[in-house]
Amino acid sequence: MKNLHIIKFIPGTILAIVLAISIGLMPKLVTQIIAAEPAKKAPAKAAEPAKEPAKAKEKAPSPTFDPKDPKSILYMDTKGNVAGTGDPTKSGPASEVIKMGAGWHPAALAAALLPKDRYGLVDWARAVKDNIIAPRPSIDPSDDELPPMDMNVVIETKSDFTNDVVYPHYIHTWWLKCEVCHPAIFVPAKGQNQMTMREIVEGKFCGRCHGKVAFPLTDCVRCHVQPKKAAKK
Amino acid sequence: MRKRILFTAFFILILSSFSLAKLGDMVFDGKAESRKKAGVAPAVFPHGKHEEFYKCADCHPKIFKDKRGANDVSMQKNMSGEFCGSLECHNSPKAFPLYECVKCHIEKKAGSK
Repeated sequence: MKNLHIIKFIPGTILAIVLAISIGLMPKLVTQIIAAEPAKKAPAKAAEPAKEPAKAKEKAPSPTFDPKDPKSILYMDTKGNVAGTGDPTKSGPASEVIKMGAGWHPAALAAALLPKDRYGLVDWARAVKDNIIAPRPSIDPSDDELPPMDMNVVIETKSDFTNDVVYPHYIHTWWLKCEVCHPAIFVPAKGQNQMTMREIVEGKFCGRCHGKVAFPLTDCVRCHVQPKKAAKK
Repeated sequence: MRKRILFTAFFILILSSFSLAKLGDMVFDGKAESRKKAGVAPAVFPHGKHEEFYKCADCHPKIFKDKRGANDVSMQKNMSGEFCGSLECHNSPKAFPLYECVKCHIEKKAGSK
């Protein structure tokens, strides 16, 4: 009787083990499939910018593509079609669309040697400071240009760890008039503007421009520059 | 018969628990004083969600020591490229940026500090 019980018991146990292992492995397989998906996406993304130099080779069959060479510029129209290259001897002059300024290509900015921040975005403030660009004060030549105001405002952060913000009036007043920000966005008095990062992200205070027309909020340390300990001393 | 069912159930439970083990949400509730001043809730880290996309060795022990309480995380450190703000993580276009405060500092609707 006892033996019979064991015989009955063994196949059941084996079945249970196999079942348990298969159930146990299921999530691993699923996670592997999930993990494999971003890996598939990554080369697809990497392939997109690679198309542009490939097109450049079609139009201008140079063995090396040097983005710093103005002749390597590839102009595209707004639909993404090649409208011309920087080398008129090879492709002829750029199309009318380009001449009108209706289309542009990132390679054109790269060729202009504009300084970039660590996110690869054009650092317009540094372009001004390094005398790479010199925009006119106004379209109207009779307009008076006020000299920039050199005044840094330290905005203390509320937490104990995050660096304080140093706001430079200089570069802002280089671009903008006082009335652009005061008093609508910022009350022109020290300590009167109680702001939080959340409000800024929602588009108030600095967020009225930064993240829209000015550099985005991604690069925290570009504004949060002054360590807390230095401020206390 | 009952013994057999119990045994089978036990086996399934043991074996499946090895691979099903996913860490849930981890709450970073340190630095309470500073957080109170800043008015932000503790940061909730969905470990399971990250497990779906990354292997353990992607983060441990290089970015995060795999011991609870061993990582002195602060927003300043995140901003300067450590921990969550590592250059391949929430300081890159791969993941949402650090300024989206409430994505991690999730506020409880009732009884929040």
